[in-house]
Amino acid sequence: MDWLLVSVMNGVVYGLLLFMVSAGLTLIFGMMGVLNFAHASFYMLGAYFAFSLQARIGFWGAILVAPIIVGAVGVVVERYFLRRVHQYGHAHELLLTFGLSFMIAELVKLFYGNYPVNYRIPGSLDFAAFAVGGLDYPAYRVLMGGVAMAMFVLIYLLLTRTRVGIIVRSAIYKPRMAEALGHNVPLVFMGVFGVGAALAGLAGAVAGAFYTTNPNMALELGVMVFVVVVVGGLGSLGGAMLASILIGTITSLSVGIDASLSDLFALFGARQWAEGVGGLLTLKVSSTAGTIPFALMLLILLVRPHGLLGEKG
Amino acid sequence: MKPVHILLLGIVLALLALPSFLTPGLVNAAIQMLIAALFASAYYLLCGQAGMLSFGHAAYFGMGAFATIHAMNAIGGTGLLPTPLMPLAGAIGGGAFGFFAGYFSTKRTGTYFAMITLAIAELVHALAPHLKALFGGEAGVSATRMPAWGFTFGSTNEVYYLTLAWVALCLTLLYLYTRTPLGRLTLGLRENTHRLRFLGYNTHGLAICVFVVSAMFSGVAGGLLVVSNEAANYVLFDAHLSASVVLNTYIGGVRVFLGPILGASLMTFFGYAVSDLTQSWLLYQGALFVLVMMYMPNGLAGLFGQIGQWRSRFGLAALIPFVLLALGAGLLVGGGGAFAIEMLQRFLSQDYQALASANAAGTWPPIRLFKHDWSPAAPGTWLVPATLLTAGAGLAVLARQWLRRLVQREESNRAAAEASVPGDAA
Repeated sequence: MDWLLVSVMNGVVYGLLLFMVSAGLTLIFGMMGVLNFAHASFYMLGAYFAFSLQARIGFWGAILVAPIIVGAVGVVVERYFLRRVHQYGHAHELLLTFGLSFMIAELVKLFYGNYPVNYRIPGSLDFAAFAVGGLDYPAYRVLMGGVAMAMFVLIYLLLTRTRVGIIVRSAIYKPRMAEALGHNVPLVFMGVFGVGAALAGLAGAVAGAFYTTNPNMALELGVMVFVVVVVGGLGSLGGAMLASILIGTITSLSVGIDASLSDLFALFGARQWAEGVGGLLTLKVSSTAGTIPFALMLLILLVRPHGLLGEKG
Repeated sequence: MKPVHILLLGIVLALLALPSFLTPGLVNAAIQMLIAALFASAYYLLCGQAGMLSFGHAAYFGMGAFATIHAMNAIGGTGLLPTPLMPLAGAIGGGAFGFFAGYFSTKRTGTYFAMITLAIAELVHALAPHLKALFGGEAGVSATRMPAWGFTFGSTNEVYYLTLAWVALCLTLLYLYTRTPLGRLTLGLRENTHRLRFLGYNTHGLAICVFVVSAMFSGVAGGLLVVSNEAANYVLFDAHLSASVVLNTYIGGVRVFLGPILGASLMTFFGYAVSDLTQSWLLYQGALFVLVMMYMPNGLAGLFGQIGQWRSRFGLAALIPFVLLALGAGLLVGGGGAFAIEMLQRFLSQDYQALASANAAGTWPPIRLFKHDWSPAAPGTWLVPATLLTAGAGLAVLARQWLRRLVQREESNRAAAEASVPGDAA
């Protein structure tokens, strides 16, 4: 039972992290209609910038400054890259961000080397928050969840309770009308893109210290984020939240299950047969943990092609 | 005979004569180029003609490769088919998996489609190392080419001719496909899916069909790779292979049939040629792709077409200075960029940093690059790429101005011509 509790908590924290990245992606998609392939690269940049800054200005300073730099990178990408190719259509924008993500990964390899860097949580944060059934639960996980929660309360309040928020929402909903009313819509787009990038950067700066910081982290997380938005329904913040938590929990739970399909067949007395067939049937659930979200995505596509909470069409 | 036909005939003849001029290493590179060209062309069918961006095409390439290697190992190593027909197994493997993946991914279009293809490829990549019986785990699966039809397939040259024959056949088939009614419908899928559905076509079925054809030819390419390498590993499913086919196809140009073929063979050749000189080839490839996307969306093939168009508009004599300026700009920017990247790569490498920290005086030892020693601390070292880049940018500006002047002159000529025709103005 303790194992279940710890796994669920780990899964929720991982899910919140996924949500932090996928929320920016969904927001940008809703606004510009373009899927930013480089979004997960911003997550990676956040981790690497924080790693570099940590030695100079300390951990907390790095966590604060790294997202700002990543946000600036995002602004540059929107202003000088995406806006240039906007005239050629969405597929072209998608390809450009794909190229950028490829380039960012290669640049990271150039500057930091093609191996994980030694970015760790500081000693002062490396303690147990509480114990579950004799096992210490790291405080840093609680902190990661807390940062994600705090960020979202803030963004939600900003979007729904302030004047800036109402302009942003109107620019997303009816960009031409907002422009006709005298709002600088390109500036709003640039701002939201920057904030989305900074959010991903913050997620990276916080999570990079706990998980590993390596040049592949963008692709690994990026694919998971795409699964989240397909499962949740693109453009739906609520769907992204639901799907993130769901996928986080499922991944975390399946790592701990030491069973395979042959155990299922054993219920019908067919274990011998299943083990004889081998392949997928004898594969342990724990070793396929990374693939279960993809299977979930295919299932969702079969039964609800527009995602859990996505709008039809 | 049209000039295009003469050009194609010339290329085929050159390719046939190639092995007698090249070293075995270069023949091997030529095989890789042919395979990359076929893969890019198969990919172009999906992304260029049907307008469906797939970011996970390595999955079908890899499935074709593994189907071929198991076919080669079947029946106690004698093979299911004679060696020259082996890529057929690749076609079946790639096509079958393409049907499965295509059924799911074509349920959605546009951005969703792109994400689903990526996720399926990652699913395969994550699952493959665990399925040892099928994909051989970390070590992979190996096989041997069996002699057949009077050939031993022992030498690289024989493999080259086999690859060339298959690639030529497949490219012809892919080209002929574009001329069939199905090929026309494929274009319709890109241009206006709603209208196709309105006209009574089953667009989901059609999309699956195109997907399967593309996956099948990707599978042939994978099969050819296996026939050439006699081994396959789950690394074939790596995201890097999916990325490189996207990059190659778009660098070559996605508006013309020959574009992806050009892009893939050029990029593979450069990748082979510079693999000893630089460790940052992928960075150059990515940078080139971003530049192509931003400044010439129709790729290299589109660039040639554009120059041809300008030639007939402005005349060759007026265009030559522009081409020279643009070439100069490209060379300077490329040189400056390459210098900066190579210098940084050497400066930041682990070996050099270890050497520098061992150096007690705190000075930076010089770095050897382009047959000179450069000191990283001297401003002159970094001035070189900066000067090259600035000069290149300057030339680019000049080239643009020249082009603008040409357009203006043409317009004023036209205005003068219209003014000189009486009655036309009324």
